[in-house]
Amino acid sequence: MRTGDYKQSYGELVALIDSPPVWLWSAVLLLALIAAPYLLNSYALSFLMIILITVTGALGLNILTGYTGLISLGHVGFLVTGAYAYAVLVSKYHMPPLVGFLGAGVVPALASLIVGAPSLRLKGLYLAITTLAFSFIINTVILEMRWLTNGARGIQVQRPEILGISFDSDAAFTYLCLAFAALTLFATLNIRRSRVGRAFVAIRDNDTAARVMGINLHAYKLFAFVTSAFITGIAGALYGIYLSFVSVEGFPFLLSIEALAILIVGGLGSALGAVLGTILIVLLPEATRLVFSLFSAQMDATFATGAQELKSMLYGLVIILFLRFQPRGLVGAWHDIKRTWVHWPLRY
Amino acid sequence: MIRHLAAASLLLTTACLAIGPASAADPGITDTEILIGDVEPLTGPPALLGVAASIGHKIAIAEANAAGGINGRKIKYVLEDDGYVTARTIQGVKKVIDVDKVFAMIGISGSGQSIAVMPVLEKSGIPTVIDVAPVKFLWEPPRKNVFVVGQSYEEGIVHLVNFLADKNPGKKWGLITQDDDYGITVRDGFDTVVKAKKLNVVYSGNYKKGQQDFSSDMLQLKDSGAEVFLAGGIIGENIAMMKELEKLSIKPVTGIFWPGRIEPVLKLMGPAGDGIYAVDYVEPFAGAAGRAFLDKAKPLVSEAEFKGINRYTMTGYAAAKVLIAAIERCGKQPTWACTIAELEKTKNVETGVMAPISFGPGVRFSNQKLQIMQADTATLSFKPVN
Repeated sequence: MRTGDYKQSYGELVALIDSPPVWLWSAVLLLALIAAPYLLNSYALSFLMIILITVTGALGLNILTGYTGLISLGHVGFLVTGAYAYAVLVSKYHMPPLVGFLGAGVVPALASLIVGAPSLRLKGLYLAITTLAFSFIINTVILEMRWLTNGARGIQVQRPEILGISFDSDAAFTYLCLAFAALTLFATLNIRRSRVGRAFVAIRDNDTAARVMGINLHAYKLFAFVTSAFITGIAGALYGIYLSFVSVEGFPFLLSIEALAILIVGGLGSALGAVLGTILIVLLPEATRLVFSLFSAQMDATFATGAQELKSMLYGLVIILFLRFQPRGLVGAWHDIKRTWVHWPLRY
Repeated sequence: MIRHLAAASLLLTTACLAIGPASAADPGITDTEILIGDVEPLTGPPALLGVAASIGHKIAIAEANAAGGINGRKIKYVLEDDGYVTARTIQGVKKVIDVDKVFAMIGISGSGQSIAVMPVLEKSGIPTVIDVAPVKFLWEPPRKNVFVVGQSYEEGIVHLVNFLADKNPGKKWGLITQDDDYGITVRDGFDTVVKAKKLNVVYSGNYKKGQQDFSSDMLQLKDSGAEVFLAGGIIGENIAMMKELEKLSIKPVTGIFWPGRIEPVLKLMGPAGDGIYAVDYVEPFAGAAGRAFLDKAKPLVSEAEFKGINRYTMTGYAAAKVLIAAIERCGKQPTWACTIAELEKTKNVETGVMAPISFGPGVRFSNQKLQIMQADTATLSFKPVN
């Protein structure tokens, strides 16, 4: 009888995919995602697009908060910077969309240096407040730089055409979001198992011990900021394209809180956790609505006409329940289920 | 194995991209029902607008249903809350079109939200009448299936400032606007008249959206000696400004814009709001047309809904009337194409709550006639003055 899943070498320990069943399920998931745009209606597809865009952004925040332990309340600032960078480059200056995406990553990355550098000596709440202030500053800068950003009027964004492929339809745009989400997932998983990722985790767990081991705290913290902002900026560009209209109003501060909620519910420091957390947070109101609509049409109508208030209540409730009963998040629950499955009927 | 999987995935992706999505034709109609969809902010502060507009839609629908529906089919109304969140507006519109499968759309949230959702509406081809936030982008350039009932913010502000300028020649002017799209529009309209009439502007302020405290701004307005004041807030901001002016014991001639021209605002302003001017394109409730509308609405909605009626109820009612009339003119087998064609043929349709509504070939904006009203706090109402 199998009594556990043992790793016998360092290579096995850091392997991205360590068993044939995981390969198989990954392939099934990928094929399902590829087929989904042609099986789902436009409404369901909009959830898939939001999930893929949010996964990209959440994975970006996960590098900073999950891996490195630096709490950011201002990630919506990087999101909106990325969206504006893309909109300005592509819609205003008619650059190719690929250049727009590059700009959507690079501009927030540069902005992160501005907020990251003075924040290097800050931790916990102090850093959270600094990043929060950044998100407000960036909104004001965007509103004031009318010559570039159109101020409060915002900028229209068209769906892109890249290398002759039009992403105008929802299905095609979903593939673009899927490509970015998959690339980001692959990149962050590789960062986590690399020397850089281990340094991030060392800083998160005990920065004094990390410094004693020779890790350059300033350099690695800045790198975490830059990488995180780059990825979040790309997610911002995708979100701007999804909205078809980039304005500061489309990127409310609540998105920063939602991103943190995703990481907490999913499981801090885990890429899989960020994915699971995103799926849960995005689909929670809709799933609840579907469940309640089974009971009566009146309940369905209540969810339809009071959706946003109920959504806020559900977020709060879920976060409280997770922090109390499953602080390791969904990924912790998943590990528990796997362990029980492998060891059953034994309890260790 | 990985290479095979990658190749299969690539093949599937290419095939899917090549095929393109399937299309469905003219849903939302059964032998007994016609579905009309709407997405509004029903929660949060903008709910004051969204809920009122949806009540207007309900009144028009209830009225039509009481008269036998549209050529024998009852109208069913599907309403979705977006909480004034743009992403949610897009999802809401997709839900009512794709899941609920409505025949036509009405309402559609705020200005930024309706702008963002325009590609979805245009691509779907569904007949749509927008009534909550009339902004130029929605009708310039004209879109085949999207019609807008109302008047532009620019025209509204020009009308109000012209009226106040003619009534108060040679006076000093003050203006404060919000730092968003709405504020820019108000300022643009104001600047047009300033240039044309060479107004003496002694105070020009800009406040951050969500600002609650206007003590410093109003003190500056007082120090500037402004005698005519254009309060460019929406709802709560205008109340705070008027209360602050009351504290400072000054009462300049004040003008406000239609988003804040609702009776609860007057109640909250108290005596400070007495005599302020407002511009609007819907009838005041204090007038004969307004009272007639309230009499009509009372038996058609619940008591709670009746209390939620404000000017947006009238815009919602008018838009729904125009849409229903267009579907009705299509006869027993209405289609999207016919409804759009009939909407285009809309000429001088009387709704009783605003001037007659017309559209035309390439004209998707009803361009409603404006009027100026003055607040009377004793009766908590606005009365027409021109």
